[in-house]
Amino acid sequence: MSLRTALSSSQAHEVQKQFARMLVAPAMLVLLLVAVFPLIYLILVSFQGITMMDNSSDFVGFINYQAILEDTRLWQALWHTMVFLAIALPLELVLGLLMAQLFLDQLPGRQIMVGLLVLPVVISPIVAGAIWSLMFDNRYGPINQVLGWMVGHDMPLLWTIKPELVYPAILVAEVWQWTPFMFLLLLAALANVDKSQLESASIDGAGYWRIFFRIVLPSIWPVMAIALLIRLLDLFRLFDIVWTLTQGGPGTMTETLSIFTYSQGFKQFETSYTAAVALVIVVFLSAILMWALKRVELSR
Amino acid sequence: MKFRFDRLKLSCATAIASALLLSAGMANAQSAAQKAVDAAKKMCNGKTITIVWEAGLQSLDPKNFSGPMWEKLTSCKINVVEVPTAEMFTKIMQEFRAGTGAYDALNVIPSWMPDLVQAGALEPLDAMVDKYTYRDELQKIAPTYRDNQMKVNGKIYGFPDDGDVFIMYYRKDIFADPALRKDFKAKYNYELAAPTTWKQFSEIGQFLTDKLKAKGTYGASQFREPGYGNFMFQERFRNEGGKFFDANMKATINGPEGVKVLTDWRNENKFMPPGVEKFGFVENLATFVKGESAMTISWPPYGRFAAGYIKDEAMKWVPESKVAGKVGYALPPGGHPELAAGFALSVASNSKNKELAYLFIQWLNSEEISMQRVQLPYTLRDPFRDSHFTSKEYLAKWPDAKDYLAALQAGSKTGLLDLSLIQTDKYEEALRQGISRLWAGDDPKAILDDVAKSWDDTTKKVGLDKQKAVYSAWAAKGGAYPK
Repeated sequence: MSLRTALSSSQAHEVQKQFARMLVAPAMLVLLLVAVFPLIYLILVSFQGITMMDNSSDFVGFINYQAILEDTRLWQALWHTMVFLAIALPLELVLGLLMAQLFLDQLPGRQIMVGLLVLPVVISPIVAGAIWSLMFDNRYGPINQVLGWMVGHDMPLLWTIKPELVYPAILVAEVWQWTPFMFLLLLAALANVDKSQLESASIDGAGYWRIFFRIVLPSIWPVMAIALLIRLLDLFRLFDIVWTLTQGGPGTMTETLSIFTYSQGFKQFETSYTAAVALVIVVFLSAILMWALKRVELSR
Repeated sequence: MKFRFDRLKLSCATAIASALLLSAGMANAQSAAQKAVDAAKKMCNGKTITIVWEAGLQSLDPKNFSGPMWEKLTSCKINVVEVPTAEMFTKIMQEFRAGTGAYDALNVIPSWMPDLVQAGALEPLDAMVDKYTYRDELQKIAPTYRDNQMKVNGKIYGFPDDGDVFIMYYRKDIFADPALRKDFKAKYNYELAAPTTWKQFSEIGQFLTDKLKAKGTYGASQFREPGYGNFMFQERFRNEGGKFFDANMKATINGPEGVKVLTDWRNENKFMPPGVEKFGFVENLATFVKGESAMTISWPPYGRFAAGYIKDEAMKWVPESKVAGKVGYALPPGGHPELAAGFALSVASNSKNKELAYLFIQWLNSEEISMQRVQLPYTLRDPFRDSHFTSKEYLAKWPDAKDYLAALQAGSKTGLLDLSLIQTDKYEEALRQGISRLWAGDDPKAILDDVAKSWDDTTKKVGLDKQKAVYSAWAAKGGAYPK
């Protein structure tokens, strides 16, 4: 290549790069405004002593972070969140997979059934919580009514008050709403499994479970992993359904991290402390997300 | 000649003086409502006043009645921002901190006033009260509300505008039943009547449930949902002799009085309808007006709803009263009812139209306009001026209105103020959580020990001396503790 050609080529490349930067610039600006600047502001506020009740905005160093370590209510909220996560996530996965398997074949009315099954995911979580609040109503709710028919006498169970019932109530509502999400993703993944492999394995005498664990699962794993990751992040931020059913009660028995953070920020008006808590959650979840994405990448 | 001229000068001076006196008299005779309207007309110029109001029925007052009337009289527009009660304090503080000036006038619950004043969110009103000569009319507000829900540190920050007070409603037909009266007297050796002590309440409640449950009526129902239970606890705790704090500002809510209240509540639930633990305003109302409970305690609207005279479209959600004409009214046991929330009209310190906002709230709160507003069937605003309790029009609304208003007035005289400190909501939140734990089965003493600890932690955070000063000022008020 002559020097002139090389120079033209490198100039053209530079022009191309600049053009690419120009195209990406608006999106970067929006990202900065929406994500980065608020994050920087959050970090600043977390090191101050701001509450809504007075004008002070002094820097207080790591006091808020120290308070996080000593705040038993926060750690209890984290525990409650982990309990919901540990129960709801596997349930949603297993039920979603079962439903996906069921609807894999082209059955009559399949599209209508799938459409109906997916409805809960379309509803706003606050509305879903309100629906289940009515369902679980101790006097007029259909759940107690049906239970009463089954046992032959009134069953005025206090689903959103009694400690032994609040967790099942919340989990039922949560699983009801989000299993269809798993179902949809896994249905799509299962539909893309190589049928020739399944047929070959079957011809070779492999049983159902062997085929499932050796062929189907590895095939759908990337999609399943993403679905699990999304639901994990959602469950970590669990708020709406718990808020409408119990508001974190009785006491603080079902208070999740999100409800705790909301309470600190908007009821207790501890602005800087809330910022510190939010930042810790962001860092923690970001770490999980990066680790998980790396694992998914490696598994490919 | 000189003498005639002097006489002429004297006559003129007298005439001028008389004219001046007459016009001054006429100005003073002009109502506070009219003064507000006349002043607002000169200032409006198409301006809009934004007022924060409780969402739901309450906001139908400025939306359907007072707002349109004010607009017609002054050409000032009114914009109503509806906010659920649980979010009102937050929204007011957020707006204040944001400094947007979005709100001009506010409805505030009086127990929030120390917090809002300390933060600087409320405008002191004394100067405008004097400018528009409203002090005289403020004096005609019923003393408990006037003396306790208007001022912070000696300055006026709000006009009491809602005579909330807990009243006992009971089925006078059931209490008058000869067979029941005979059996009750035989068992308990006193007459079946509206209970004056909580011991009597329990005995009567259990007795009536035993006798009437088969017919679908329980002896009593109560607010038990934590948000409402908070007020019921504050009332009963003090009627039992309890004090919230000792002289050193240490919480004493976990003393024997507090434990007794929670223990008694749990025992009383046994003769109340199943699921009473979840009863809030609507559930308790439905139970009472359908005739499913013989006694309850609640705010004044229950009396109006139970009377069954309201036929307004907005009230279609209220179950048809099956107890119209059968309801008696009394003070709750202990004789000192909780004033339970209430509302005061204030001006936001960030408002860009402070004087106009002030004129609107003066007009709303005036004797003339408030008399109409407290009689609106749909707004839940309760009588708060002396004249409201004796209004001929109100007394004629239903046959027992006289007894109803007398009970409200008696309650306003002996009523107990809601606890009001700096960051009151943190104290109330701890109490609400404690009540929810009670229904979950936790031990009353353990619950209240935790509540007391939470209160002490909050006091420490606010500043012991600072909070003690506020509490001492509150406790010194006539309505803080039963006399």
